[in-house]
Amino acid sequence: MSDDSVPLALPLLRLSAGSAEVTNLYRELRKPLLRYLVCLGLTSDEAQDVVQDAFVSLQRHLSSGGDQENIRGWLFRVVHNQARNRQTSYDRRFGEELDGRMDFLADSATPEQILLRKEKLRRVAAAIQLLTECERECLLLRAGGLRYREIGEVLGIATSTVGDTVERAMRKLAEKCNV
Amino acid sequence: MCDVQGKLIAWLDRELPTAEASEVERHIEQCRECQRWVAAYGHVSETFDAYCDAVMVAKEPRRVSRWVPVLASSLVAASIMLLVLLRGRVEPAPVLAPKVATASAPVPAPSLAAVPGPRKPTMRRRHAAPRVHRRATEVQPMDTAIEIAIPAEAMFPPGALPDGINFIAELRIATDGSVKQVRLRQ
Repeated sequence: MSDDSVPLALPLLRLSAGSAEVTNLYRELRKPLLRYLVCLGLTSDEAQDVVQDAFVSLQRHLSSGGDQENIRGWLFRVVHNQARNRQTSYDRRFGEELDGRMDFLADSATPEQILLRKEKLRRVAAAIQLLTECERECLLLRAGGLRYREIGEVLGIATSTVGDTVERAMRKLAEKCNV
Repeated sequence: MCDVQGKLIAWLDRELPTAEASEVERHIEQCRECQRWVAAYGHVSETFDAYCDAVMVAKEPRRVSRWVPVLASSLVAASIMLLVLLRGRVEPAPVLAPKVATASAPVPAPSLAAVPGPRKPTMRRRHAAPRVHRRATEVQPMDTAIEIAIPAEAMFPPGALPDGINFIAELRIATDGSVKQVRLRQ
């Protein structure tokens, strides 16, 4: 695995608490962070709270002259730890079917398209159930745009282990989803 | 199974060193099986991403549509306006002329001019007619006397007074329709 992971677009400038760069960072990362937390099993309100807290921590971190390298990885690590503190064990519901809550699929699609999308989500949900906790977390962080090195930092595992875990998890999903 | 297959995801994620990435790329161009796996991994990534989005949307608290509070407040405002309009249209109860005689008394009917008209609604109107026009239709103030004959039996117990004695009640009516003065004479 390469170590030349692409740094965030932001830290080219020195970040300062309350600066426009932090505001841009918030706009850029708020949704991925929320999605990660919700997929970990937090409610929407809890996820909002955790993300708010994480950005407050970032302000403090920057004010106290903390390290500005890989702020994205830093933020994911903070929300990951806060999510762990809120739950004694991770929610196993990530991967459950969304049968009663798939109204949003009906937004702009024909009945046939809706059926196909529902079926696809059902298959991927069933496949996610077969993944280990570490595999799910790796895939979630990867879907959040993190590099393998950053995922390793968040989860506290080696970068090579992340690569192997992602590869194994993707193969399982591909086989179970029949693609 | 190709040896390269274990590196396909890392290649897709741009995690391989440049030299190794070029090597994998050259292999994929020639290997149909690896091409199929690359397509499959791309599809799985998209589907996983879509599932994450679906979970996020499904867990969002349901929001009340924007038009619901607007419609509710419009309904309340319309109801209030309707009530105000209906109240404005209700005619005020006519002011009754004061009763000055009993039914048994031979009461001469008072002239229409002597009876004050119904009280005007006290409600103010925004576009009231000019005062000049209203004056022409107003009932003129009245201060004339009305005489009513009242038999003595109607006022005193039987036998208290000799038969055939009547009284005349002389009433003076004020401009607002109330009895201003009552004078009793034989």
